[in-house]
Parts: sequence; structure tokens; C-alpha cells
Amino acid sequence: MPEQAQRRAFEAQAQEKPTDNNHAYEELRHLIVAPEQEGIASIQDRLDNLEKRTEDVSVVVAEAIQMRREKGDDLALAAALAPTIQETLRESVRRDPHVLADALFPVMGPAIRKSIAETLRGMLESFNEALEHSLSWRGMKWRIEAFRTGKPFAEIVMMHSLLYRVEQVFLIHRETGLVLNHVVAPSAPAQDADMVAGLLSAIQQFARDSFQPGTTENLGNMTFDELQIRVVSGPNAVIAAAIRGHAPEAYNLAMNETLEEIQRHYSSALAHFTGDPGPFRAAEPQIARLLETQYREKPPEMRRPRAAMVAGAIAAVLLLGWAGYSTYLLIEWSRFLSAMRNQPGIVVVSHTRDGRTVHIQGFRDPLSEDPRKLISQAGLDPEQADLQFAPYYSLDDAIVARRATVLLHPPAGVKLTAKDGELIPEGSAPQNWIAQLEEKAPWIAGINRLDESHLQNSNLQELNALKNTLQSTTLLFPLGRAELEAGQETNLAQAEQNIRDLVAQAAPLRQSVTVELVGHTDITGVEASNLPLSRQRADQIRAALLRNGIKSATLLPRGVGTSQPLRDEGTEEGRRLNRSVTFRITLSPLLAAGIAGAAPVN
Amino acid sequence: MLQKKICMLGSFSVGKSSLLRRFVKNMFDEQYHTSIGVKVDKKVVNVSGEDLTLVLWDIYGEDAFQKMRMSYLRGMHGYVLVVDGTRRQTLDDALALNDRVVSEIGKVPAVLALNKFDLSDQWEIEQAQETQLIAADWTIAHTSAKTGDAVEKAFLRLAQLMRAQ
Repeated sequence: MPEQAQRRAFEAQAQEKPTDNNHAYEELRHLIVAPEQEGIASIQDRLDNLEKRTEDVSVVVAEAIQMRREKGDDLALAAALAPTIQETLRESVRRDPHVLADALFPVMGPAIRKSIAETLRGMLESFNEALEHSLSWRGMKWRIEAFRTGKPFAEIVMMHSLLYRVEQVFLIHRETGLVLNHVVAPSAPAQDADMVAGLLSAIQQFARDSFQPGTTENLGNMTFDELQIRVVSGPNAVIAAAIRGHAPEAYNLAMNETLEEIQRHYSSALAHFTGDPGPFRAAEPQIARLLETQYREKPPEMRRPRAAMVAGAIAAVLLLGWAGYSTYLLIEWSRFLSAMRNQPGIVVVSHTRDGRTVHIQGFRDPLSEDPRKLISQAGLDPEQADLQFAPYYSLDDAIVARRATVLLHPPAGVKLTAKDGELIPEGSAPQNWIAQLEEKAPWIAGINRLDESHLQNSNLQELNALKNTLQSTTLLFPLGRAELEAGQETNLAQAEQNIRDLVAQAAPLRQSVTVELVGHTDITGVEASNLPLSRQRADQIRAALLRNGIKSATLLPRGVGTSQPLRDEGTEEGRRLNRSVTFRITLSPLLAAGIAGAAPVN
Repeated sequence: MLQKKICMLGSFSVGKSSLLRRFVKNMFDEQYHTSIGVKVDKKVVNVSGEDLTLVLWDIYGEDAFQKMRMSYLRGMHGYVLVVDGTRRQTLDDALALNDRVVSEIGKVPAVLALNKFDLSDQWEIEQAQETQLIAADWTIAHTSAKTGDAVEKAFLRLAQLMRAQ
């Protein structure tokens, strides 16, 4: 207060004497406050001058950030910087993408390669899986295994079909090997996490010391039989996952992401860890996300495809069988039908198939083969045939011959054939049947002509036989005499009987019989008397025959003397045979009853 | 629940594993010992009304042929230095090991277990020596894995030391 009063008094004084005093006052004032004012002005200048202010901040900015981070408040710093950095990056990319691309290149290359390799591997795995699926006898194998081991089938299927199951996840403090958090999959076996984590750390350190001393790298994988332990390490924490089966590489990525997240969130707690896992309880949802189960396939029922396959196979076999049998029948029927077309007396006009039934339409001669019998003979079922044949007269040679046979009743030994409308009988038949044949044949359908050249008249044949017998008969006479030699009576009687038969058989054949009695002599004696002697001998026999009742009309005696010797005269036997009477028979058709016996002689 | 990593240190056949067997729940078999040189066990103890999980690393004993892996000690909160009281040499070895541990890991709570106390007639560690050790700030326990004497006490003592930190 007194100071202020002094000051006011002094200022009032100064105003009162401005000229002299003012100058002195200004000088004094300058001496007293100038340094202060300059300081203030300088500060003012620094505050007002943006350039200078920026310069000031630039000196401390790095230290300030560092200080802030050391205070453990790096999260806020990151939050504050994030939008700017993001914007910066965006702007950088907008201006020249190459700068960032070049910078990221060493990181992205391996990442992309890894991702592609992972995708390919996944594809291969699913391909393998598909292959495995198609071999369904595996199901049977598993059943046997279940039976053998006494385990439930479902468990065996589970064991084989589980692609992988993450059974436990450990969050471990890297330096001490103490457990920060631990999660176990439902129903998975769990060991004491503290001890397992401790031993895991020990093994990690052992491996590190043994194989890569001096590095901070961690053992990535450990495999015990079916169990695999995957480990990812950060600066302060380690995540270890106990996996049954084979998890994809991508799983490691998830582990790494989780670890990074935890490292970030709990960096301070991790750095100052003294054995209290309390703060890490909150990390449980993060590590629980790593408990994954992937099945190779759906466990239920795996025999269905097999059953379907068997059913399909049976259906296919049945179908093939049916198709094969149908084709076989079709072929057999068409073969039969073409055979039927060649069958005499049958004309197939059309045929159709209707399911199992074959409809055949056409014409059939009543004398042709029974079509039903033909079907049976072909090995087919006559029941499957619907036959519609109209009757007709066939002009087929075989049918014509059959028709003639039916109508003419040829005797045994006569065969009838037909060719182009001509009937050809073969064999020998009695005169009366031949007469019937000649009369009836032209009336038979299909017969225009008759060829009898192969047909013999059996009556005529018998007649000729008798004729020949008679003509070879020789009645002998003694030398120079016209009476029969003693003992020739039997021959004469036989000859007489033969003549009677001949005449009797010739009558129905409408043949007249002329018997020439030819007298012969040998060459002994006077030739002039031989001719009359030969005539006498012939007359002698005629007389004997007439005596016995043979009609004279048929007997013509003739003497030929020595002109027609029967034998060579050189021997006595020859000469004896020449002293004889022989028979020559002439058969000639009876033209009319009145002319009988008027046949020419010689 | 608080967890602490504790290591069992000491020469070959001083009884580290036997002490632990007395004290803990076993899960892994001894094979880990010979294969990777460490076996991990666990015990929950109660220190002044609060449960504490001790994760115990039984580290394969050092001898002329095998050096201990220091890396196993990283991050430990305390350790039990085990000595065979009937072999004086094991005490000297243990103290030498201790120096290495302190220089490598730093100072952490520790308990010195003079084991095989049941064989007191063969005892080779003099009272004067013990007095010196106590003076050097060692917490000493006379243990016997055979009888179980003072085993639990030794671990509890270590737990208390760690809690106090």
C-alpha cells in the first residue's frame, strides 16, 4: 500500500512538470523496466510468431511422446494419433501409392504367399477328404475297431473324423512360465495348468538353449502322438494351444492375433507381472475364442451311400438283364418270323409287338405246318403269339404234292412230287390206281400236267415177267423126229400154264397175246427136209396145246429149220438144243374187242 | 491366486528332488529330469491367510560334468538352495552357484536348506559356519527329506519372504 501511494505521488509530480521532468522520468523508467519489457516483448513475439512457436515444439515433441509413453499412457496417445495417421496414410496412397506399396512389399509378399499356400492346402485337404469319403468300407473298419477296442462306435468315428479339436489354451507369462489364464474345451481332459505351463516353458527354454542359443525365437510346434502343441510368443506372453488332430496353419494366425491383442491390452500388467494373474482374468473371452473344433465330416450314419450303391448296382443288373432278355427275345422272334416266311403254305403279311405279345397276320394253307408247333420248336412260347391266319390254297410245290397225296392215296412204293404245276409220281403201281391217277390228277388244285415217266405199271411188269419165262422155255425133240423127247412133258405142261396166265393177265391190261411156236432143227440131215421137220415140230406142240384147251387164235406155229439156231452147232449139246420148239410172245394193245387176235405176226 | 516361480538349486544328489517329493503334488515323471534337466511341480501354500501357488522348478543338480542351465531360472521369484549337510563341499559349491545366480538373475528371496539333518552324526557344517551364513543374511532351514522335518517350514519361510517383497 505505501509503495502504491508513493508511486501515485511520483506520477502526479511527473505530470505536473512535463518538460524537464518528463525526460528524466522516461530515462528512469527506461532504466528500471526496460529489461522486463524487452523480456515481455520477446515472449509476446514468440507467442505471436507461429514459426517460432513451431520451432519450440519441434525441439521437445519426440521427448514428449516418449515421456507420455513411459507414463504407461500409450493407449491415449495411440488413440489421439490414430485418426491423423490414418488420414496421413490415406493421403499418401492418394498421392503416390507406390511409396506405401514399396514400404509394405517385404511384409506383403510373404503374407500373400502364405495365404495362397494355405488356401491350396485347404483345397487339397478337402479333395483328399472327398476321396476318402468315397471309400465307404472305412465305416466297416471302424466298426471292427470299435468291437476290438470295446469303445463305443461313436467315439471311434469321432476320433477318426475329428479334423482337429483345440482342447486347451494357455496364456503364459513368458519370463516366469506362470499361467496367466487357461481355458479347457468341454469334456476335454485337463491337466494341472500351472505345472503344464511351467513344463512348457522349461521345454521351450531347453529347446532354445540347445538348438538356437542367443535367440528369442520360440519353439512353434510340439507333437506328441495325436496331440499337438502350438506355441506363439510375444515379448511378454506366450499362447500355447493343445490340439488333437491337425489344425490348419491359419489357426496360428488366429493365435498370433489374439496374442497381439493381449500384448497390447495388457502391456503394462505383463511388464510388471509379479505372480498375480488377476488382471488377466478379463482376457478369458479372447483366448476362449481359440477353442475350436473342426470335424472332418458329419459323424452320423455313413452306410447309406453303400446301401444306395448296392441298390443301384442291383437295379442296374436287373435293368441290364431285362434289356438283354428282351433283346434276346426280339432277335429270336425276328429269326423265327423270317424262318416262317420260308415255310411252304404260310404267308406272313405283317407282325407287330405289343409288350410281351407278338401279333402275326397272314395266310395259311390247311396242309401247311401248324404255326404253334413251329413256335414251340423254335424254343419260344406259343402263348406269347397272337396268330391271325386266313386259309388259302397254296401253290407251293411241297403243298401241291401233299395235297395230291391226300387226295390220291398212292399205294406203298409210290411217291408224289410236284414241280411247277406238274405232278410226278415215282415207283410202281397197279393198273387200276394209275387209271385213277390219270383221271383225278388234273382236278387237283395246282396240278396242270402229269409226268408218268417215273411210274411203272406193276401188272404190266408181272406180264413181262411171265412173257420172259415163257420165251426162255425150250421143248426138245429127238434127232430127225417130230415127237417130243421123253421127259419133256413137264416143260410142256409148265409152258401151257404160263400161256394161260399170260392170257389171263393181259386181258385187264387190254392187251392181246400172240404166241408164236417156233420149230427148229439142227444142221444134220438134208436141209430140204429140215424146214418141214421144224414146222412139224411146231404143229406138234400147237396140237398138244389145243388139245389141252388153249385157244387156237393165240397160237401161231412156224418152222424156221436151221435158219435161227439157238446154239452153235459145234457141239452135240448145241445141236440137241437146236432140235426144239421155242415160244415168242407178242403183246399188243387191244384197239377194239372185235380185232382181238388180229395182231400181226412176226 | 498369486503364483510364484521357485527353483530348487544345489549340487548333484543333495536331495532337491527328495525334498520336493515330500512337499508337492507330482504330475510329471522323473524322466523330464534326465531329458531336459528340469521337472516342474506345484504346491499351494497359505501365507498369513492368503493362498499362494508355488510352481516349483526342480533343476537337475550341478556336477563336474554338467552345468546348470541358467535360463531355467529366468523370472523366478525365489529359490531354495539345497546343501547336503553331511558333505561340506556341497555348501561351498552351493555358495559359488549362488554367486552366479545373483550376478545373472539379481537378488531374489532365497532359503538355504541344509538337508539330510537326520544324519546329524555325520554333519560336517559347523555352528560357526552357520552363524556366518546367518550374518550374511541367509535364511537357514535344517531339513530332512527322509523324516520330513522342517521341509514345509522351509518352503513357507520362502513364501513369506517373497510375500514381504
